[in-house]
Amino acid sequence: MSDIKERLSALYDGELDSNDIDSVLEELEADNNLQKTLSLYSLIGLSLANENKVTDINDFKIEKNKNIFTNIWFSNTLTAAASIILTLFVVNYADFSRMSISVDSTNKIASAVSSREAKEIISNSDEYLVDHIMSVINDPSFMNSNTIDLKNVGYAAGRAGNVGYSNGNEKFQLRIENKNFGLKKIRYWKHGNKMIYIVPISNGRVVTLYGNLSASSAIEIANSIN
Amino acid sequence: MSKSSNNNDSELIEKVKNGNEGAFNFLMNKYYPRVYASLFSFTKSKEDSEDLTQQTFLKVWQQISTFRGDSAFFTWVYRIAINLAKNYVASSSYKKQRMNTSIEDGEIEIRSYEGSELSLIHDESMKDIRNFINTLPESLKTAFTLREHDGLSYEEISKITETPIGTVRSRIFRAREAVVDFINKELTSYE
Repeated sequence: MSDIKERLSALYDGELDSNDIDSVLEELEADNNLQKTLSLYSLIGLSLANENKVTDINDFKIEKNKNIFTNIWFSNTLTAAASIILTLFVVNYADFSRMSISVDSTNKIASAVSSREAKEIISNSDEYLVDHIMSVINDPSFMNSNTIDLKNVGYAAGRAGNVGYSNGNEKFQLRIENKNFGLKKIRYWKHGNKMIYIVPISNGRVVTLYGNLSASSAIEIANSIN
Repeated sequence: MSKSSNNNDSELIEKVKNGNEGAFNFLMNKYYPRVYASLFSFTKSKEDSEDLTQQTFLKVWQQISTFRGDSAFFTWVYRIAINLAKNYVASSSYKKQRMNTSIEDGEIEIRSYEGSELSLIHDESMKDIRNFINTLPESLKTAFTLREHDGLSYEEISKITETPIGTVRSRIFRAREAVVDFINKELTSYE
């Protein structure tokens, strides 16, 4: 029994030998307990993903230099998953202060989602941008650009096999797209303790930065790429 | 044996495209809680989230032939769910036009979780599970969290922990089994 469960675990992780997949699927179909085990594997994964779930808007700390945010949109991203809950609503930073951030966050989120403004924003949102953010969060190989020299702004690339940049305090990964998703302003999301910044740069490109870094650092880095 | 993570999804998707319901049920079981949790954040309603999740997977079944693999499978599923959620947000009459009809008209049974496992999402259970994971032996916890939290492949975990891939697979499985036992003994009464 433990053998089939171990193979089920490997299949859940996408790591089972191809030759073994059909036999696991057959046993799964015939065994309700095995199906329940699979469901629990999924919930367990979700529990770890929820560790990074952003449910409280009060958790978001506005940084000291407010000027940085005058041209930035604030996006509160609820995340579940390496598994994910994404982009429930987007609030213009200028409107943030009037959202009475001290009220219960759940009610506020529900209210924001049902607001006309949120509906318009959601309906206008670019699905490609959603896909992009999902890939940033879900696909470890997606943020793989390690070829840009950022020493001029104080960040060193990781060694081979260690994707990303660091200056000792801030660590992040970077990716450049030759498309700008129609963005004219910097947008950012919070995912757990990490940030995702999408910064339009020259020649119709955007740079995506994902990691533990401040908005000001993200802007400085993006400007250095410009 | 080593493959990039979620590589099996591609193989399962091909099987689904060829009408393999077992492969579909596997993928649905794998992603159902994630989709449900996402939709619950939208709807704040267990019932509507359940309906929308079922509707999502019905559409997945119906439209799987259009999935080209340009994005991760979950991204594609998520987009379907989000589109349904947008309609939910936009339509005040949503509840009057529940999707039971379309499910009955579907060519595959979209199973409901009937609240048993999913109920764990709604209380302190998720936190209890995380706390339990923290009590696992270090070797199990490391392999498991590198896989589930950081999304690393077995091969990557093998390199980081300097252990054979077979050991990584075994440790992750043993960690999962320990957590399943914990859930069955401490958090649920359905077994």
